[in-house]
Amino acid sequence: MNKYDFILIGVVLFVFIGLTIFINFNSKSGNKALVYYDNKLVLEVNLDQKRQFYNVLGYNGNVVILKENGKIRVTEEVSPYHICSKQGFISKTYESIVCLPNKIVIKIEGKSNLDGVIG
Amino acid sequence: MEIQKYTRLTLFIALSVVLNLVESVIPFFSGFIPGLKLGLANIVILLVLYVYSMKDALYVSVVRVILVGIIRTGLFSMAFFFSLVGGILSVLTMGIAKKTKLSIIGVSVIGSIFHSIGQILVAIFILNSFNIVYYLPLLILFSIPTGIVVGFITKSLIKYYNRYLEND
Repeated sequence: MNKYDFILIGVVLFVFIGLTIFINFNSKSGNKALVYYDNKLVLEVNLDQKRQFYNVLGYNGNVVILKENGKIRVTEEVSPYHICSKQGFISKTYESIVCLPNKIVIKIEGKSNLDGVIG
Repeated sequence: MEIQKYTRLTLFIALSVVLNLVESVIPFFSGFIPGLKLGLANIVILLVLYVYSMKDALYVSVVRVILVGIIRTGLFSMAFFFSLVGGILSVLTMGIAKKTKLSIIGVSVIGSIFHSIGQILVAIFILNSFNIVYYLPLLILFSIPTGIVVGFITKSLIKYYNRYLEND
């Protein structure tokens, strides 16, 4: 390891901190979750305090989604690694749950400065 | 000479496929951030890049992705395109980084970062969603330790491999 490696690592850390600050600066709690299957909107959930389960049909079978305290998560799905159910709750506008094997994407919508860019 | 070299490259391809399969059954950080991996197969790519050339590293990387596609993830599946673009971008950037004053550790970190960037680019394209870009900062952060580990392992492997080539 030479001094240029340390410079590189320093630059990378700087980029990480910069990106993190930028993202947090632009994030807000969303009030609506949009569930997509294969890029088609299949479910809209208002993120209120009530606890409620939803069933959505994914590519491999049923995907169970839980809404609670203004947050949303996937609790059950059929996939090899269960990445999206391990991810847990999301509630910020920049967060999303992506379940590739099931072609399910959950996005959060709300008032964000980035809306114009993200579309 | 050519035949000897391609026989060795073939062995390296086999090795990288096995490392990839081994890695896929270690749930190392996968519960923590989706898609995060150690990148053990990058050890082989980095070694080929240093001992042979960038062209050979690209060859090993692409054949590895196709083989892993056939064996595990499915040819032309989403995971296949993730690995393909990530792998190619990683080899190209490591080839460029190798020409600078960075040591093998730095080159490995660069490869690790651009592997993530390539995958995110494919994800944006396939999922038609820009939101996934928010994983990028964390993936970049974890590229540093995984890149350093892979770099150190490859550094000592190259030493043994060169000694073996001399005695050959």
